[in-house]
Order: sequence, then C-alpha cells, then structure tokens
Amino acid sequence: MPRRREPRPAPALELKTTRLAGIQVILNSAEHAALDTHISTLFAATPDFFGGEAAVFECGRLPVDAPSPDWAWLVRELKSRGLNPFAVQNASAELATAAQQTGLLVLNDVAPAPTTIAAEPEPVPEPEAVPAPEPAAPATPTRIIDKPLRSGQRVYAAGGDIVVLAAVNPGAEVIADGSIHVYAPLKGRALAGARGDTSARIFTTHLEAELVSIAGVYRTFDAAPDAAVARKPAQIRLADASQIVIEPL
Amino acid sequence: MTTIITVTSGKGGVGKTTTSASIASGLALRGFKTAVIDFDVGLRNLDLIMGCERRVVYDFVNVIQGDANLHQALIKDKHCDNLFVLPASQTRDKDALTEEGVEKVLKELEHQGFDYIICDSPAGIEHGAVMALTFADEAIVVTNPEVSSVRDSDRILGIIQSKSRRAIEGREPVKEHLLVTRYSPKRAHEGEMLTYTDIQELLRIPLLGVIPESEAVLQASNQGIPAIHQKATPVADAYQDAIGRFLGETHPLRFVEYEKPGLIKRLFGGK
Repeated sequence: MPRRREPRPAPALELKTTRLAGIQVILNSAEHAALDTHISTLFAATPDFFGGEAAVFECGRLPVDAPSPDWAWLVRELKSRGLNPFAVQNASAELATAAQQTGLLVLNDVAPAPTTIAAEPEPVPEPEAVPAPEPAAPATPTRIIDKPLRSGQRVYAAGGDIVVLAAVNPGAEVIADGSIHVYAPLKGRALAGARGDTSARIFTTHLEAELVSIAGVYRTFDAAPDAAVARKPAQIRLADASQIVIEPL
Repeated sequence: MTTIITVTSGKGGVGKTTTSASIASGLALRGFKTAVIDFDVGLRNLDLIMGCERRVVYDFVNVIQGDANLHQALIKDKHCDNLFVLPASQTRDKDALTEEGVEKVLKELEHQGFDYIICDSPAGIEHGAVMALTFADEAIVVTNPEVSSVRDSDRILGIIQSKSRRAIEGREPVKEHLLVTRYSPKRAHEGEMLTYTDIQELLRIPLLGVIPESEAVLQASNQGIPAIHQKATPVADAYQDAIGRFLGETHPLRFVEYEKPGLIKRLFGGK
C-alpha cells in the first residue's frame, strides 16, 4: 500500500491546456460601410445577446487582395455589443500585421478552414443575432440556476443546456442554445435552441409559461394551455422543424 | 452595528411609507435608536405620515450637498425619543441623490450610533428606488394582494439581487422579507383577491406579516400619526407582530382568516 504523503501546498502557478469556447466572427467583406450596416442590423433587436464571450475574427473568406479592415473600430463595435475579439485567424500577412498593431493575436493554421464552410450551402438566413451558427461545439457545462428568476431577469446558457431549480416567474426569460429544464413552476418565457438547434427541448414540472420557443418557433399562451399539461409536468419539442408540440410528462 | 432596512415595492400606493413609519416607530418603541429616511425626493410624504411636516427646515438633499449638516436636518419624532426623521426635498428631483452622497449620510448615521436606518423607497425601479436599496442589509418588500403589485415586487427583488452593494461585492445577500398589506380576508376568501399564500408562493421569500385593510390607516395618515400608534386596532397589532418577527420572535399570523359573521353580529352589526 502506498504510504500517505504529506499534502503539498499547491504551487503558485500551474500550466494546463484549455480549449476556449468562443464565437467566430466570419468576415465576408472588409468594407467599412458594409460592415457597419450589417453590425447595426444584426444586433439591433438583441443588443445584449452576448455577455462578454471571447471572439476570433475568421479572415479566410476575405478576397485575397482585400484591404485590411479597420481593426480598432471593429473591436470597439463588437465590444460595445458584448463580444470580446482577441485574435484573428487565417489572415493574410498584410491583414495580420495590421491586426497585430491594434493588439490582436494572430492565430495561424487553424484547422476548420473557411473553404469547407463556404462549400456548404449558406447557413440559414434566420434573423438570429448570431454571426455564424456554430456546429456542435465541445461539450459546454450545463448552467445551473438555483434561485428564483424574477420578472425582468434573463439568463442565457451559451452553447449548452440550462437547469433551473427554482421558479421562473412571469416576466423572466430563460434562454439556452441547448435544452431547458425547469424543476419548478415555469411562468415566464423559455427559449431553447436559441442558435437554431431544432432538437432542443423544454422540460418543466409545472407548465404555466407565457411563451415557449424552440429554434425560433414559438408559441404564446394567451389562453391557458390544454388541461392535460396546464400546471402539470410537460415537455415541449419541435416536430417537423416547424411545429411546437406540448406533451404531458 | 447599524442595520439598514429598505422598504420597497416597485408599485406605488401599496403602503411603503405607512409601513416605513410604523416599522420605524415600532423599532423605536422597543428601545432601538432609529432613523427613517424619505428617498422619495420631489414627492415627499413621510413627513406628513409622521406628522412633522411643519418642522422641516433642511432635508436629505441639503445634507448630501453639504448645505446643512445631518444634525440640523434630523427631526426628532413627537412620540418616540429615539426616533428621527430625515425628510426628502420637495423641490428637487431624484437625480440629486448621488451614490457617494447617500453613502456619506448613512455612514454618518452609523457613527452616531443608530441601530436601525429605515430607507423609505420611492415607487418605480429608477434611480431613486435603486439609491434606496443600494446600501440595504435587509429589505421589506411591501405587496398588495393583486397581480400587478406581485409582479412589481418580483421585479424589485431581482433588482435587489443585482444592484445592491451586497450583491455587487459578493457579500451575503440582502435579507428579504415579504409584507402583505391592505389584505382583506373576506375578499381573499371569496377569490376576489390573491391570498397571502398565493403571493408567497410566487415571490418565495419569508413572510414577515400580513397587514389587514383598514380605515384606521387613512385616519392615521391624515392625523400624521403612524398607524402603529392606533392602539388596539388590527393594523397596529399586525405591525407589532411583524416587528416582533423581524426581531426573531414567533407570532402566529392574525387577521388572515375570514369568519362568517354570526347571527347576532349580523343583527346588531359591530366590528
């Protein structure tokens, strides 16, 4: 049997590898005016959609002879909308130098080259306030909320599921890129699959929601939901990618 | 140790000022040195309810702006020796309340050895209301048995949990108490009003008390005597119970069950 060793104090510094979950900001144009208009329209409806996520500029789709975009301005614009760009990837030498001068890191040889994405049909032009729908990101930890969500409060689980152990009160909003589980009365709004995941579902032990939405398909409850599910445990899913189905659990 | 209690609600007209006056008076009657501050700058009312409107010379904003010192602005209550009122200014607006200024005044009250500071919040969720709850240690959320009041209380609870100093600095959260006011057991029994259990189920914070609807409150307001001084009325008793619970005592809930009037009562009336 190994002898028990004295516990050593943790060193002041440790190094470990990590994978950052972040947002890719794919640049299709370097033109100031075009970028400006598009940023404004993209974020107009949901100015506080992002909560300080890290972001990387993907430059692989820019034309080879494209002039360098105004990096400092771009970073400022995105920061004011809750995104924190810190690097550029797949940038030409000229673009990389300009980016470096404004303090951005230059990441090279990043695997998912834009050509593969470009080969696919253009992603759904849903007016979802996300620059590019991310296909299956590495497993994000589930967000767990154990205090009541009150009127006017909003939580967003980026890239994953959310579990709420306390009531979601009228006027509160739960949003997740994955599924939503509410083990208490759901009386506010629940929006699952916020980035278009149609397989996301909503589960609750007490359905009394104001609105439920999955991948942008929503249903309000002006009248109470069916007696079979009203104030009862229920699951909400999407059938045929366009039809909200509410079933008792 | 000074405890700062914010009396708030989100919605207007639910009884915040009545409650502030009665809770402050009740704590003072029990021997605690207490100050009650009117944060409703521009719509000051607390001085009327406390019956000291004719003695206002300097106000909260004067103290914040350094035009007067705290000693000059504090008004000693008529009924309790250790209760002081800091009135709001009627001629300014709520922007006159700065965070540094409010903090300075609260700190000074703490130095003067006050046990409790009651902050009477204005309605709404804007600057004035936020200033009133920023420094709170405990919050009494005043709610009427109707859906709009309950929803506004829910909203203000969310704001307490995000904008109070305790929340921002990650300290122990503000202790929240629910006080249901203007409660009519008869109407709740008949389903015209929410019951206090409905309210508690939604807001999910501990119940401090239920204050019955009563004409005594209006009378008290008009006379400038906090309702808690109206001896032997259900309102005064209910406030006394609530203060007792606040201080850790246990009291059964009173005035919440509806009893059908018996034959004699119906024949001869009576209260």
